[in-house]
Amino acid sequence: MKSYDAIVIGAGAIGSSVAYHLAKKGMKVAVVERSDLASGTSSGCDASALICDKKPGIDTKLGYESIQLYKKYAQEFSYDFEFHQRGSIYVCESEEELEVARGYAAAEAADGYPMRMMDSYELKEAEPNLAQDLVGGIWTECDSSVTPFRVAFGFIEEGKKLGLEVFPYEEVTEVKMDGGAVSGVVTTGRELRGKYVVNCCGAWAPFVGKMVGLDIPIKPRKGQILVTEKTDLLVKEKIQEFGYMLSKFEDVKYERKVSRRVEEHNVAFVIEPTPAQNMIIGSNRSFDGYDKRNTPGAMKALAERAIRFIPKIKDVNIIRAYAGLRPYSIDHLPIVSAVEGLPGCFIAAGHEGDGICMAPITGYLMSQVITGETPMFDIDRLRFDRFRDEAYLKTVAEAYES
Amino acid sequence: MKREVVVIGGGPAGLAAAIEAAGLGARVLVIDANARAGGQLFKQIHKFFGSGAHRAGTRGIDIGTALLEEAEKLQVEIWLDSVVVGIFDNKELAIEVGQDSENKEVRMVRAEKLIVACGASENVVRFQGWTLPGVMGAGAAQTMINVNRVLPGKRVLMIGSGNVGLIVSYQLMQAGADVVALVEAAPKIGGYAVHASKITRAGVPIYTRHTVLRAIGKERVEGAIIAEVDERWQPVPGTEKYFEVDAIAIAAGLKPLAEMTMMAGCEMYFDPVQGGWVPIHDRNMESTCPGIYVAGDITGIEEANTALEEGRLAGVAIAEKLGRISPAAAETTKAEIWERLGGLRFGPHGEARMLAKERQIHCFEKRVR
Repeated sequence: MKSYDAIVIGAGAIGSSVAYHLAKKGMKVAVVERSDLASGTSSGCDASALICDKKPGIDTKLGYESIQLYKKYAQEFSYDFEFHQRGSIYVCESEEELEVARGYAAAEAADGYPMRMMDSYELKEAEPNLAQDLVGGIWTECDSSVTPFRVAFGFIEEGKKLGLEVFPYEEVTEVKMDGGAVSGVVTTGRELRGKYVVNCCGAWAPFVGKMVGLDIPIKPRKGQILVTEKTDLLVKEKIQEFGYMLSKFEDVKYERKVSRRVEEHNVAFVIEPTPAQNMIIGSNRSFDGYDKRNTPGAMKALAERAIRFIPKIKDVNIIRAYAGLRPYSIDHLPIVSAVEGLPGCFIAAGHEGDGICMAPITGYLMSQVITGETPMFDIDRLRFDRFRDEAYLKTVAEAYES
Repeated sequence: MKREVVVIGGGPAGLAAAIEAAGLGARVLVIDANARAGGQLFKQIHKFFGSGAHRAGTRGIDIGTALLEEAEKLQVEIWLDSVVVGIFDNKELAIEVGQDSENKEVRMVRAEKLIVACGASENVVRFQGWTLPGVMGAGAAQTMINVNRVLPGKRVLMIGSGNVGLIVSYQLMQAGADVVALVEAAPKIGGYAVHASKITRAGVPIYTRHTVLRAIGKERVEGAIIAEVDERWQPVPGTEKYFEVDAIAIAAGLKPLAEMTMMAGCEMYFDPVQGGWVPIHDRNMESTCPGIYVAGDITGIEEANTALEEGRLAGVAIAEKLGRISPAAAETTKAEIWERLGGLRFGPHGEARMLAKERQIHCFEKRVR
């Protein structure tokens, strides 16, 4: 039986980053993946690393530091994960939205992040294909894009140089315990011994959690995406409607004037150009269990919303659609943590729609937690324990209701 | 909108299914991507092989005409220039109608019963220069000469000596092209001797144990280099031959166009005899998705006659499910069809397909149980 310092379960963007960073610490690491690399949410998502969609505070900090790591790794790695720093634009439909946006951008700027307002004139200059009635927006200089499955491949390839071993198409069926501590895993192919086991299974993390008696409060939150034909790009960078914040966070209070279909499917417009000259259009949020199929209603709503913001896109063909499952956690913060009372067990999951963005920093921080170093910044709020804190859960629940 | 029976693909399988179901009283809509339904039948100007029961001696083009007339008589609704672009829960289809026109629109149709009969696509052979204009599938060359009446090239190199390669070579010659050679990687000619002798008699050389190395040309094909291959299919240096050609046609077999069934969630399995991934189905041609039937080449590469019979089978089975025909009467008709299919899957070329079909149905039964 092979023996490792650490076994990472899941080879999406998060798992592969955790594995890479542990290998970089000099550990002997194995990654176990039930399917192919990056075949779950990392190949059912869009391609951005943004801070403009994060809340002020630790959420933004995680995003920002992660982008800095991406920038560094883009130089260091021999594998190209197509990192581009193009910036991003948030667009506002109404004065009311613009007001909320001003407050938000001011808070982020006060924390030192490169975020500033754009007026409607500047918006038109920057993106002439945007609808003419938009009142303004936010420009975020540091926002970037990467190709998600390439991110996972990149971490794995770099990790292999450091001795990382990968076992694709092997599903974990059991997590082994020895004297109250985690001691390894049994897969459909073999048994592996390991001192540390890291659950990086994203939306599927609860299943592995159950194997060691943990109730991990992560739920799959589906998002659908449309892919346009290869054409003259109608946008230069990632553009999102400010209403995105509304669809993501339950406690942001603002009613958009949208059609019933858009409302019903919880659609917020985002678009981005790809290196292959297609555009990808997103997205919606729905709780449909683990069903990854596209639905005609949501697809229509996505198209409708895209045409509202970029009227010209009406004449562009959609060639494909896909869906992915975001690992949603109730407070919109990931778990990057040891598990109290279960030595050797770690969790890095629950990033909702931010897994690609936060992959580098998550791996970095997780490797610090596992080796017992002081994390590069305070990540107390990412502890798994918070979900065992009744008072905290009550505060979160209240934010939903208010 | 809703339709009782929707057929995707108006080739021999789809039309036969539509006619059978409509003949028994079902209301049927056929969706076809082309300007005219009939699939590949209208480019098959040669006479079919087989027994009298299978219209042997009849040309594909005449079978196509007869099918369209029958469909019209039975008031089968046919949407032309229409492509199914999505298949969703509850057999809901997104159909792009009028795909090449300015006024194209997407219509959503919910089918009570669905038959997927999309046929097959041509396999390609990749070699240096294979993306140059002038390199095409043999089936595409056949469509150009027999349907569109356009010569794909004056001097043509044919890759592949199966029946398609042989027949299309002959038809290219009839249409006025000069077929400079046939290239076959295997040691023997793949198709029937009767087709092969037609073209060798006309002086066209057939190079067995040979492959194409590259297509030469700047804007389009101007020439091709072929070479002998050894026992391990590797080109033997020094055996290269150059041909001046302006078209290269590739007849390297077909593969089922089964994406639609994958999208619908039908269980698939892989069988090289069938041409690749195919949906598994029962003896009524029903897939693992209840109410979704499959027929013709998408269930495994065969020929127009088997496609017609599989289509009829699906049509009868659906009419039975819809209560338009008694189970006893349906049983008799289906038994007759299976007997005719047995006749078609017979002999040296048919037996492997018969066994493959049995495996496919066995796989379904095992999965469902």
